[in-house]
Amino acid sequence: MKNPAHLLPATRREFLKSGAKGVGLLAFSRFAPGFLVESAYAQAPAPEKDRTILVLVQLAGGNDGLNTVVPFADPNYRRLRPTLGLPGDQLLKLNDSLALNSGCAALHQLFQDGKLGIVQNVGYPNPNRSHFRSTEIWETASGSNEFLPTGWLGRFFDNACSGTPPSGDPCGVNISNEVPQSFLSELPHPTFSLAAGRNNRRQQGENLALLEQMVRTPAGQDDHDNAGYLRHTMMDALVTEKKFQKVLANYQTKTAYPGTPFGGSLRNVAALIAAGTATRVYYVSLGGFDTHNNQAGTHANLLRQLAEGLAAFQSDLEAKKLDSQVLTMTFSEFGRRPSENESRGTDHGTAAPLFVLGSRLKPGLHGSAPSLELERNQDMAYTTDFRAVYSTVLDQWLGCKSSAILGANYQPLGFI
Amino acid sequence: MGQKTQELTPAEAWQPLPAAEWNEAAARHLLQRMGFSAAPAELARVLQDGPVRSAERYFTAMPPLPKPRQIADLEADGPELFRRIANGSAEEKRIAAQEAREQSREALFDLTIKWLQLASRPENSPAEKWLLFLSDVWVVGVEKVKNSALIYQHQDILRQAALGRADGLARAVSRSPAMVVYLDLQQSNPKAPNENFARELFELFTLGEGNYTENDIKQAARAFTGYRQRQGEFAFAPRQHDNGSKTIFGQTGPFNGDDVIGLVFKQKAAGTFLPKEMVRFYLSETPLPAAHTDALGAWWAGEDYDLRKLAVKFFSSRLFFAPAYRAGFIKSPVQFYLGLVQDLQLSVVPLPRQLLGALRSMGQMPFDPPNVRGWVGGRSWINSATLAVRRQLISALLAPINEEALNGDEQIELAAAYADGVTNFTLDQSQLAQWARLPAAERAHELVRRYVPSLAGTVLEREVAAFLERSTQHSQAAAATRDALATLLESPDYQLC
Repeated sequence: MKNPAHLLPATRREFLKSGAKGVGLLAFSRFAPGFLVESAYAQAPAPEKDRTILVLVQLAGGNDGLNTVVPFADPNYRRLRPTLGLPGDQLLKLNDSLALNSGCAALHQLFQDGKLGIVQNVGYPNPNRSHFRSTEIWETASGSNEFLPTGWLGRFFDNACSGTPPSGDPCGVNISNEVPQSFLSELPHPTFSLAAGRNNRRQQGENLALLEQMVRTPAGQDDHDNAGYLRHTMMDALVTEKKFQKVLANYQTKTAYPGTPFGGSLRNVAALIAAGTATRVYYVSLGGFDTHNNQAGTHANLLRQLAEGLAAFQSDLEAKKLDSQVLTMTFSEFGRRPSENESRGTDHGTAAPLFVLGSRLKPGLHGSAPSLELERNQDMAYTTDFRAVYSTVLDQWLGCKSSAILGANYQPLGFI
Repeated sequence: MGQKTQELTPAEAWQPLPAAEWNEAAARHLLQRMGFSAAPAELARVLQDGPVRSAERYFTAMPPLPKPRQIADLEADGPELFRRIANGSAEEKRIAAQEAREQSREALFDLTIKWLQLASRPENSPAEKWLLFLSDVWVVGVEKVKNSALIYQHQDILRQAALGRADGLARAVSRSPAMVVYLDLQQSNPKAPNENFARELFELFTLGEGNYTENDIKQAARAFTGYRQRQGEFAFAPRQHDNGSKTIFGQTGPFNGDDVIGLVFKQKAAGTFLPKEMVRFYLSETPLPAAHTDALGAWWAGEDYDLRKLAVKFFSSRLFFAPAYRAGFIKSPVQFYLGLVQDLQLSVVPLPRQLLGALRSMGQMPFDPPNVRGWVGGRSWINSATLAVRRQLISALLAPINEEALNGDEQIELAAAYADGVTNFTLDQSQLAQWARLPAAERAHELVRRYVPSLAGTVLEREVAAFLERSTQHSQAAAATRDALATLLESPDYQLC
């Protein structure tokens, strides 16, 4: 018997062929935790009818808010952005003072259709300009000088998932290179990582039964160390893998998603939602926003990818009548400095707007626009705390008491 | 997790391991953590030499990596490509830029394969892993640098400085053309000093967060103005350099970049930063208590930040061999792959599309880290997607290559390797047939003993035997042996070292 030369299957057909050789899941039921076995026997149970879903889109690198939602009428904008300032006639007007970057055409349409909200000038006190630290602050919902070991969504899982959804589906699914810090939780919850893009191939081992025996926890062994972590992850992966493969391969949609990896990732999120997966949080990452030089073209292209992907996703959900269940929200670790730098780019800054998208929200502009009465290289002062955005989503969308997750009460915003 | 240091006091922790505690298990631990696996020949010698002499031997000199042919070609063709991109018509620009990208990508593949081949030789593994460590601190990424020739050069700069003084390494890296591009020194000038390099120098390369102020960064950025690279060579542009007075870490003077690095290495945090990074890279996701790293940092500062001395001290210390650090560390994808190559006695396959695709999907494409922090490591290596790729990689290494499915270039590449007498890219199938002759229990023991010794004598060894028992016919027995071996290599235990 010849085996495939490629370390990874090169085609979908090859993948499906190799997957078909897998040993039955139930062969190892003797060793699997109870809930996994139940879920395997039960296949996909009917989802709860009205559960709400959050799709979080990370714009990694620090999105330039000022050239995303552009205060085109403000003379300060021209002063701070002599070469990067976008000409008014190329912008997509939101009102007399604000407009979207021309890359956001698809989002502009959604704005006009009443499905897009923009929360302006979101940030936090004492901003940190390190990518890592500021990402961590956003993902853990901590204060600037506070270090939290868990993520805000992980704490939501702790509060809302009490173990795991009854179907055995993961609490959170991420389509990013790493499991996001947002998902880190106190209690263990299954989460699942998909590779970016549409063709999410997986291969089944040829002797899963023996592997599944290897994966079970030996009696009396501490399960909190790395070995325990590996076992849990392998077991969850083996179960979810089979189910998701089937869903993604069989997904039928009339919506034309853009051919970008981001578009493919959102198509897969739609497929999982349409299959009634009990997962309530999806996390998709789009990178490249760290535009220190020659920003203009790069930034418009990134926004175009974002806008076209989100618009296809929304339209697909509408066609499937799932749109009332889903809220999509973007975030980025920081905005960029109002003054452009000498390399026709922008350096790390502070506050920025974020987008919320869905059929059941209050569209339009929320919060207030930043003041640009700034010295050269001075940063914007935020006017909406990002934790107020989270608290609105938690209380009014996910139905989870936000003070338990955020450790404080924040004034809800009007976007839901 | 809280008792990692056992009862060792900060002073005891860094003493050499007592001879009475040196044994085969300790030698395996040393080789797996310092290198990629406990290869039998190395194990015998290390066991005889002890940890201090072994570490001294492995860190005597860095093995050279001759410039890969495609990197040399890229350097040679570079000026002409630049000229076409700069002066050509719009169409010509587009074509030349496309060619440059393609050529750089191919050259990166060549470099990566050559490096993996060098690192896969057990006698080189500790030094090459040390280099991987240093490049995970002094990060540059090909995605932004774009020119693979600069990536090779950056690795060579680290290689030349890897066993010298850390401040010398820092000065050398600040002049690395790849770094000048990666952290935007290229655009930095007195009117608009770019803070990117100065920030990461303090935060991620030498001191760590909390050991500098925002103002230290702003001032240091001025000191590094004028650093340029021109066609792959470092160049200092005096007119673009800010000669003015700066105040950094409370010191005031007309500092230049080298002066800033001098000031950095007067900070206490400079002594503890790299040891902390070593703990994270080699030992544990849980940091040591501050007193333990402080002790090592103070000693290291007194040794003029000599990197070789630090490595020898670390890898022969009582703390390094403490029971808490045995067998609980998650292998990085590079270690997982090179460990497999060494354990199965294979050669690195010269097929970039397949091999590098697998490394990328496991989350660690060499020379292409996710960002300036490098790879986070530890549990972040493991999720359902990366585990699936680990499993596929094992299957591929245990079965013959289907050469008909290769494209033309790949067949030529493979034929050239065969002509050089290298054929062991996947497991020797006659080895499987040989094992298949053994009775199931004996065969299970042999597989476990060789590849996952921590499972020897456990219930899992008996389950492997039972699995083998079920395939009695000889033709089936070889296939079952391969499946059993694959499963052992996929097991949680093999993902740990």
